[in-house]
Amino acid sequence: MKALLNNSLLPMMRTQTVAGSQRRELILLSLFLVLIWGVTAMLSPRFLSIDNLTDILVQAAPLGFVVLGQMLVIVVRGLDLSVASIMATAAVLSIGANDSTISIVLLALAVGAIVGGVNGYLVAYRGVTPFLATLATMIVLQGIRFAYTKGAPGGSLPETFRWMATGSIGGIPVSLIVLAVVAVGIYWLLMRTKFGYQLRLFGDNPQSAYMTGAPVRKIQVIVFVLSGVLAALAGLFLVGYVGIVDNWTGQGYELDSIAAAVIGGAALRGGKGSVAGVLLATLILVSLFNIVVILGLSVEFQLVIKGLLIVLAAAVYLSKSRD
Amino acid sequence: MINTNQQSSSAWLGNLARAVRFETMHWVIIGLIFAVFALGSFGSERFATLTNIFNVQDQLVALAIIALAQTLVILSGGIDLSFAGLLGLLCVFFAGFNAQDGETLALAFAATLALGAFLGAINGAITAFIGVHPFIVTLGTSTILTGLALLHSSQPGGSVALFFEDVAYARLGGVPYGFIFVVLLYIFTAFMLWRSNFGIRLYAIGNNEAAAKVSGVPVKQTKVLVYMLSGLLASLAAIYMVGRFGVGDPRAGVGFDLRSITPVIVGGTLLAGGFGGVLGTALAVILLSLLANALNLMNVSSFYQWIIEGVIIICAVSVLVGRSKK
Amino acid sequence: MSTAILAARNLSKSFGPNQVLSDIEFEVHPGTAVALCGENGAGKSTLIKLMTGVYQPSSGHIEFCEKTVNWRTPSEGIRAGVAVVHQEFSTLSALSVAENIFLEALPRNWLGLIDRKKLRENTLALLTSLEIQLDPDQIVGELSVAQAQMVEIAKALRTSAKVLILDEPSAVLSQQETAHLFKIINSLRSKGLAVVYVSHRLDEIFEICTDIAVIKDGVVTSAGAIKEYDHQKIISAMVGRELGDIFPDKAKYPTDEVVLELKQLRNSSFDHAIDLTLGRGEILGIAGLVGSGRTELAQSIYGAKAASGKVFLEGVELAKRTPSKCLAAGIAMLTEGRKTDGLFGNSSVAHNYISSTICKGANSLSIAPELAAKRSAKVVAQFNVVVDDLGLPISHLSGGNQQKILLGRLLENQPKVLILDEPTRGVDVGAKAEIYRHLRELADQGLSILVISSELIEVVGLCDRVCVMRDGEMVATLAADQISEDRIMSIAASEDAPQVDETAVLQLAGGIA
Repeated sequence: MKALLNNSLLPMMRTQTVAGSQRRELILLSLFLVLIWGVTAMLSPRFLSIDNLTDILVQAAPLGFVVLGQMLVIVVRGLDLSVASIMATAAVLSIGANDSTISIVLLALAVGAIVGGVNGYLVAYRGVTPFLATLATMIVLQGIRFAYTKGAPGGSLPETFRWMATGSIGGIPVSLIVLAVVAVGIYWLLMRTKFGYQLRLFGDNPQSAYMTGAPVRKIQVIVFVLSGVLAALAGLFLVGYVGIVDNWTGQGYELDSIAAAVIGGAALRGGKGSVAGVLLATLILVSLFNIVVILGLSVEFQLVIKGLLIVLAAAVYLSKSRD
Repeated sequence: MINTNQQSSSAWLGNLARAVRFETMHWVIIGLIFAVFALGSFGSERFATLTNIFNVQDQLVALAIIALAQTLVILSGGIDLSFAGLLGLLCVFFAGFNAQDGETLALAFAATLALGAFLGAINGAITAFIGVHPFIVTLGTSTILTGLALLHSSQPGGSVALFFEDVAYARLGGVPYGFIFVVLLYIFTAFMLWRSNFGIRLYAIGNNEAAAKVSGVPVKQTKVLVYMLSGLLASLAAIYMVGRFGVGDPRAGVGFDLRSITPVIVGGTLLAGGFGGVLGTALAVILLSLLANALNLMNVSSFYQWIIEGVIIICAVSVLVGRSKK
Repeated sequence: MSTAILAARNLSKSFGPNQVLSDIEFEVHPGTAVALCGENGAGKSTLIKLMTGVYQPSSGHIEFCEKTVNWRTPSEGIRAGVAVVHQEFSTLSALSVAENIFLEALPRNWLGLIDRKKLRENTLALLTSLEIQLDPDQIVGELSVAQAQMVEIAKALRTSAKVLILDEPSAVLSQQETAHLFKIINSLRSKGLAVVYVSHRLDEIFEICTDIAVIKDGVVTSAGAIKEYDHQKIISAMVGRELGDIFPDKAKYPTDEVVLELKQLRNSSFDHAIDLTLGRGEILGIAGLVGSGRTELAQSIYGAKAASGKVFLEGVELAKRTPSKCLAAGIAMLTEGRKTDGLFGNSSVAHNYISSTICKGANSLSIAPELAAKRSAKVVAQFNVVVDDLGLPISHLSGGNQQKILLGRLLENQPKVLILDEPTRGVDVGAKAEIYRHLRELADQGLSILVISSELIEVVGLCDRVCVMRDGEMVATLAADQISEDRIMSIAASEDAPQVDETAVLQLAGGIA
């Protein structure tokens, strides 16, 4: 035991390498999650049942999709405030007419991609700060959506979507399978492709990236498009999970996704992002919400905890980066 | 050319223009206001009446106050996204006094103002002394405060003296008190930005924090102060809102964080800080509210209004991008 | 004579093992203007920082008004009366001239409010006394660079400063503006102000200064009244070292093949059109003072800055250049400020190394995480880079090692032309020697190298040919025996440099066909 500690764990904790610091953050996040789960389990033994844990994961899935996209945007020093609006638009499209599921999905993803493209264009080609660009698209999209649905979306949700969000294949929830596939895909993109390397380098120093020949404008556009597509996907899953569609689906997800990304280690200054980290952070947030409910505290307590966590995490990461 | 010290009327005007940081861009907004006016008068006969105009401004007193707070914070290079939770909590707090007589009312006033300033100061302290980005800090505090407000009362509750409500609705020669108050507040703030050391420091920090620091500006204290002011102004807005609604609604602040940013940006204040001022915000608030009102009267659904609002932001920012590249 | 108002006595400063200043004696008297001369890296700015409270001495002390002082912050120095105007000034572009000058010292009325009328009056009074013509209410952002500098100077002098230190003030000024600046300096001097004028523009020094102190490699090599000096004496004090063993032999295999050619290249920073040729296997130096336009030239070639004119690589024109296009075509550049646009500070050493050739050595599907480390292990051995772990952020490395990694990065692109802007800035002597050796090896293998450097000894020791730029113009090209520190400095620093063959000798060692 002591040997294990001395030879691998402690060096890992002390290390200053980039990869090492990230690993350390992941360990801390995991420990925190285990702590939360442990405390909850002590309070309510039901908690650690497979069913319950799976429920939590399924509940967290939509946020997980959005967070992955938001992470990519934050890596390139941006922010995407339009994700919630995209989610709602995707949700609203899903109850459209009698179109096949496939075409609905493709349409929703296309909308996400287009909005993302507009965001990317504004940021990369017109020099608009991401905050304002995505704020504007969020509002415009909102208007379009409400006008399209005349304020109240009607129609029924195709069964497929309900199944997608709540059903399982071979005992494993569909949404988790899809999330896992997407997460692996994003991980591969970010860590194993030229594009991913360029993303991270750009976030570290946009000037240097330009001088080393990276296609800086294209990079930003693609990232926003990805964020848009993931948000649309999340919207479909969320609406399937909740079962009700309204124009405000996903409200609050933009800020939640930024919170989860930051807690998960994606620094606002860019260049850093970890798929595992942000997914852990998403789980942490959702688990905390669950504790609040289990403890019998009012739902609003979640907000207080979430807020505290956000500020705390940012402060902690800040102090670490000063070492 | 060096001006002599003669105070001719044009020099005085020039001074005034400089004091409020008037720019060519503001002419554009003024022009747009006239355009909206024309649009509204043409589109609906009810538009160009005084009652309507004052109605409009009346409803937007709270937003105007928050936009003013946001202007100050953004000028200093920061941002305040805590209004959603802050306003909710302050409304609930103020109404919670159930002040029916003058004494309690005064107490409620003082306590609410103090609370607002205190909470704002916390925002400022965390960002200035610990170094967390204001986006994150204010986001976090907004969430916490929303939670606290809802924990206290999930439904609007509390009350306030009827005579206060009357004041909130009263008018002076047809002009609502709220409107008068906001105008005076803006003028006072503009004056203070011009004539107080604090004002200069705000611009300096927003413009170039490092240079300001080197020149001896107490950056951290000033930042705490500006967020404190923002909280104080939020208290004023909350008090007004409780006066209007008669109750304290924990959800009263929803949307104010992002909505307060639009008039600031459209009014020409740069998000990065250092450039712009309250005149721009005032003009933008007028423009946006008149536009919304005109469209409402013309029965344009709010959905299309949203589209227009988003497009306005994009245009404003695209146009202003050139300005910041100095 | 009057006693020194500000002086450095036995002053030494080291940063870790790096001894930057050794036993400096320096003084400035009221009513005089002392020129502080020296090459880049000689120690001038360190001395200034020690004299203004930014740094504290490792040994020795600073005297102000004959009393030893121990300033720990710059504001202490300012309060005492030592004012500095740096090269990169810190004016606030959103504020007016008056507000900038009197920032944190604004006149107030009895209510505590700013007295705007008084502010305007005070500003006008100050500006008039300095014979500066500016509108106090104008926003500084609208002023020209020269005018902004005036504001900086006025600000430095708003409190009754006794010493004014100007760091390369004329680097950004036109001749007229410089003349105006000199008028102001002279008038201030006559009122008793002591001026320290940091510069290596010799013409100006002779025009405006009464005394001079020359620093070389951290020691004062010469000091005295200016009338006892001439160009030659100053230059000899500034430069002239033993080349020693740090430089390898020059080009062994002369060639007449032109690899890079610039025709009529012109942009806003250097408005005289520039023609240049670079041969295969040649190391061409571009020398000149700071502000002469060399970096802008490099940026124009590389596509980082827009320019008119043409660039030909191996006979093919490169139009609409961008860094990524140039890199693909075979031109690689090492930037001047590695922190601003060279390094990826928070990323690992390995990642920095592969950052312009990310895909190299990877299969089509994915880039193995160990690939970066494996590839960069090579450069560690080759360049003798001192690093504990390639996964560490590159900000942990010393300047010299950082530079080696960046060089290695460039070479991974297998370029035909290398543009190096200040390649050994912040690099220790041992590392320099290694870098020089490597550069020469590369040149012998056919790589063409353009070296921009402010270190004369480096230019002289390393380069086969040297082009000298001055005020945005390529004024001379020196080859073989003509290359010497004295000659280069003379040309770079003054208009009337004697005996230089200005008709550019475009002969490569061996001659052009």
